[in-house]
Amino acid sequence: MTPTEQLVRGVPAGDQSAVRPPLPVKMVIAGGFGVGKTTAVGSISEIEPLTTEAAITEVAAGVDDLTHTPRKTTTTVAMDFGCITIDPTLKLYLFGTPGQERFGFMWDDIVEGAVGGLVIVDTRRLDDCYAAVDYFEHRGIPFAVALNAFDGRLEHSLEDVRWALDVSEHVPLVVFDARERGSVRDALLVVLESALAASGG
Amino acid sequence: MADGPAPPGPDPVGPAPAVRPFLVTAGRVAPTAAGRPVPVETQVVATVAGLAALDALSFEQHDIVSACRRPQSIAELAARLRLHLNVVRILAEDLRAAGHLTVHVPDTGATHDASVLRRVIDGLRAIPDSRGVTP
Repeated sequence: MTPTEQLVRGVPAGDQSAVRPPLPVKMVIAGGFGVGKTTAVGSISEIEPLTTEAAITEVAAGVDDLTHTPRKTTTTVAMDFGCITIDPTLKLYLFGTPGQERFGFMWDDIVEGAVGGLVIVDTRRLDDCYAAVDYFEHRGIPFAVALNAFDGRLEHSLEDVRWALDVSEHVPLVVFDARERGSVRDALLVVLESALAASGG
Repeated sequence: MADGPAPPGPDPVGPAPAVRPFLVTAGRVAPTAAGRPVPVETQVVATVAGLAALDALSFEQHDIVSACRRPQSIAELAARLRLHLNVVRILAEDLRAAGHLTVHVPDTGATHDASVLRRVIDGLRAIPDSRGVTP
């Protein structure tokens, strides 16, 4: 059954739908394993973070590929997400992207249409976030890098981290605490301001 | 078959079912023959006809339409019903074609519009620092 684009996207006149849904605005929270993605989502989401299984296309990573399998494989990973109702017609969804501790993942299935991304970084394990930084830069998705200050301490200065990650000057770099609601809110606001600037607003 | 007017209860816990993820889709793995999969935040709502037909629906179809009394995203449906995302995509498309659901694919032009972003920013700014509950 192949639907017409119109039928999927629009609501026909005289629609029998009981309720008009809100417009969903999506942001993506990325970063290495255990860096605080789910904590950040849980700190600000109005619902307990939900988990679902997402299919991710993994592009074989060259030298690491010992199996000589086809170029792409599909991996199933757990994805955590939450949401914030802005008003009855507008809802913000936060999706934690899985799998970024390894190279070569394609997150298009999750990221498609996102207004922005927040890359959470543990300064003790900078390597874990390169894939996410690269991804957002290549896709032209506005994003910010947020250093999760575990126990209020950072191992490196902001300048050192910017240098190490080699992110452009226009990419905001913030320090935050994934456990603090106000801190997560402010980090998301930095991303949204970037998205707003990118939209020409 | 569970059939009641009760809204979805507390989130299920425990591991997702390991069997028959794509059995319920008759082996189909892509939501449409040609198109790209709908985004995970795509909103799904039961139609009046769909709710009226609930008794005639079985298993996953029943659960999806029932859960969609209130608008749900594809991702929420997958999580709450413990179904694979792509299974929900396929079943939602089937149910839409049958008139039981409406599927609202977000318009990226609208979600990226400056006025919408400003509303999200204003809404977020209104969120207080803490929930008033000490963890």
